[in-house]
Amino acid sequence: MRLTFAGFAWRNVWRRRLRTALTLCGIGMGIGAFVALVGFSRSFEHAWLEMYESSGTDLAVVQKTFLNTSVDQSVGPVLRGIPQIQTATPMVINMMAVTPEVNTLVYGWQANTFEFSALDILQGRRFRDGQQEVMLGELLAGSLNKKVGDTIDLQGGSFTVVGIYRSGSALEAGAIIMPLDEMQSLSGMTGKVTAFHVQLKPVPAGVSAAQWKQEAEDAVEHDLPGLRAVPAAERASNNQLVVLAHAAAWGTSLIALLVAALGIANTMAMSVFERTKEIGVLRAMGWSRWRVMGLILLEAAALGAAGGLIGVALGWGALHVLASLPQSASIVSTALPMRTLLDGLVMATIVGVAAGSVPAWRGAQLSPVEALRHE
Amino acid sequence: MSDVGVVAGPSTSEWVLEVRDLKKSYENGRIEALRGVNLGIAEGDFLAITGPSGSGKSTLLHLLGGLDVATEGTVLFRGQAVGKPQNGTESKGAGSIDLDTYRARWAGFIFQSFHLLPSLNALENVQVPMLGTGGNRHGREERARAILVELGLEQRLRQYPTQLSAGERQRVAIARSLVNNPQVLLADEPTGNLDSVNSAKILELLAEVQARHGMTLIMVTHDESIAASAHRHVKMRDGRICN
Repeated sequence: MRLTFAGFAWRNVWRRRLRTALTLCGIGMGIGAFVALVGFSRSFEHAWLEMYESSGTDLAVVQKTFLNTSVDQSVGPVLRGIPQIQTATPMVINMMAVTPEVNTLVYGWQANTFEFSALDILQGRRFRDGQQEVMLGELLAGSLNKKVGDTIDLQGGSFTVVGIYRSGSALEAGAIIMPLDEMQSLSGMTGKVTAFHVQLKPVPAGVSAAQWKQEAEDAVEHDLPGLRAVPAAERASNNQLVVLAHAAAWGTSLIALLVAALGIANTMAMSVFERTKEIGVLRAMGWSRWRVMGLILLEAAALGAAGGLIGVALGWGALHVLASLPQSASIVSTALPMRTLLDGLVMATIVGVAAGSVPAWRGAQLSPVEALRHE
Repeated sequence: MSDVGVVAGPSTSEWVLEVRDLKKSYENGRIEALRGVNLGIAEGDFLAITGPSGSGKSTLLHLLGGLDVATEGTVLFRGQAVGKPQNGTESKGAGSIDLDTYRARWAGFIFQSFHLLPSLNALENVQVPMLGTGGNRHGREERARAILVELGLEQRLRQYPTQLSAGERQRVAIARSLVNNPQVLLADEPTGNLDSVNSAKILELLAEVQARHGMTLIMVTHDESIAASAHRHVKMRDGRICN
């Protein structure tokens, strides 16, 4: 059998199968948490972007401040008077309980909003303003077993399901859409909206699309101090829910990764200690300190990468489980960005190398003769 | 056989290895393992070093093999210093050979306890010294196979150390020590863990290998009868050569 440096490293890792398997489980859990949580937050962000793009929203007009997100609905005419703006439609978004176990996103739209263009009405019709009517995404309708004509209780009010729709965005497919005025009443936001979604007029000749959008943003901020117009992509990544999701995902993942790193460090430290005499033999055969260090780092990297593969599979599975649960289906997409999978693998390998660096350095520092005397 | 291994004065070109006023102490000088050893070893020599426990024979072997560094004095390989004794650390310098390079290219080690890697079979164990040095996999394997065949282990290439007899394990270890074509072979009690039959076979093998490859063999042993088969015999006591 032809022995390679990498093959030798892997044999060393696999020599203590139980310990390696347990370490791989630890890394897998850490990376799995990372993939599931960060994957969730990224897919959440992606779903927002998808929602804006499919409806043709160019800009979202929101408060400049972070905590106070409500905008006075009366600014609508001012927005519509800005030369670059074709239409500005108010909307409210909130999370509400539809059963004791299931919370879902609820949107308040005007019945004539352009955002309906992104929806495919499968059954029934569009709701009417001022009526206690709702439309359900097909995912939510399926999980609640509701059809057109049924009623649904929201915040103590009874609403009739008048339509079932399909949407490409998980944030809409698992959501409820109701008349804006009803939503404002339910949310205690009379006269207030979460944001205005804006469509711009066609870009005139001689002006670039970016320049046209920038002019619209500047005009909004000039005419309505305290508000800002953000491009749809930025709104997708900067809205409060996404920011909070990212923060929670990264915070939890980092703790999980730290635990995984400690597992690798412990395994590698034990491995180096147990193989002290072998390291002495390698040094006696002319292996340099760098070569010994490279071997141990490669072992740690292999542990990290193998754990990363397990973690990616675990995270992917966890995300699919979450997406299948009625409690979370409305906000979880299984469309895991490839970047998250690659990040998981790269991060696992980096964590492996970082955690193995101290044991590797200590192993490499061993004097051959002292290592050979080790019992 | 000659008992004269001690040299004084400047080195001569005939010495493949030479030590000058070699001292080694431990624990801040409280324990003196070597107290000024001078020795010249000629190319192709078979030198036996004997002495009671604690006499410094293994320490001398380790210094000759570049496994350790002297507290004072010099080890010369073909006139070049092997490492440099600087506060007990290894370093490179003008006219000196890096210890790793010396061990990798010029010196081969055989240990009493064989020290084969348990996760690798015989063929793989012999390839270990060549790993990470750049050569191609096929070449490494062929080289290892050729040496194992030369040492009569062609039927045992795929066996792991636990599947080999003690004598076979030591033969694999000898093959491993030869794989980089060393010019100096250093053996620390190579028959210490073998019965008399296997001891005789290993000694015969070592003598054959030494003659065939024309290398210098330095063997530490406490067995005077084994030492009697060497070309030269150095006796040590209390950190000094005493014959």
